[in-house]
Amino acid sequence: MMIPVRCFTCGNVIAEHWEEFKSRAREGDEDPGKVLDELGVERHCCRRMMVSHKDLVDVVSPYQ
Amino acid sequence: MAHDFDVEFIERGDRKARFLVRGLTPAIANGIRRAMIADVPTLSIDSVRFVENSSVMFDEMIALRLGLVPLTTSLDDFEEGDEVTLALDVEGPATAYSGDMVSSVEYVQPADENIPIIELKEGQHLEFEADAVLDSGKSHAKHQGGVAVGYRHLQKVEVVGDTPEFDDGEPNILRGVIETEDGELIHTDEFGNDLTQQFPGKEVEVSDVPGAFVFHVETDGSFTVEELVLRAVESLGLRAAELEEKVSV
Repeated sequence: MMIPVRCFTCGNVIAEHWEEFKSRAREGDEDPGKVLDELGVERHCCRRMMVSHKDLVDVVSPYQ
Repeated sequence: MAHDFDVEFIERGDRKARFLVRGLTPAIANGIRRAMIADVPTLSIDSVRFVENSSVMFDEMIALRLGLVPLTTSLDDFEEGDEVTLALDVEGPATAYSGDMVSSVEYVQPADENIPIIELKEGQHLEFEADAVLDSGKSHAKHQGGVAVGYRHLQKVEVVGDTPEFDDGEPNILRGVIETEDGELIHTDEFGNDLTQQFPGKEVEVSDVPGAFVFHVETDGSFTVEELVLRAVESLGLRAAELEEKVSV
């Protein structure tokens, strides 16, 4: 639903980078790998958290 | 202590550091690693009183997310079990961030302010009071101050000759920190983890240096790496002293 606060595997806080990653790599046209490098998300366990995430708040909110 | 340890920093930051320690046994190196993960306490939200939550997430889900937000912890001012109250009140349409939380103690703040807690739509409202408690990583992973803590042997790279004339040029991959013959410490990332890049045309031999460990330590932002390592070593010393006292009777 929302981006997990921490990486499932290593416990690093990744959620703080989500909005920048989303605006630059998902909605923008930058290369996701380069954006993650710049954000300091180095390990592939943390990178998969960002790459594979889908926000579902908009999908769920009409059914309150 | 019977002898001193020799510590040398290779990379040093507030939240991330790599340093070499000489004169350790593998048991002590692992003891320090484990103390960094499980023994150094951090503040983390443990119980939440919801005043109103009309967001798309259940109270429990939001409480879980809050628990994972790192809080700046000054270990001199707190003892294990001490509590700090934080409060948040956000009305939609807006996103509630960790930085929106208001703390009762000025120097206890969320270490990262941009963590989205929950996105609120028009008419949704989130209001709660939360109690953060100081506890160690033994009781819950959210209290772990150290993240991705580990160590490797220091590796010595010696040039033993030239590569044969018709060498097939295969890469010689190595990870970690190497010590050259001049005593220089280089992380293998600097030359693409490939020894043939650093020593072109040379035949090299790699061996572990006994008693020398390269630690890689990251923290979640609760405190600096320095604080984490010193507290871990202190807790190890205290436990050893306690054991000595109990056995001596």
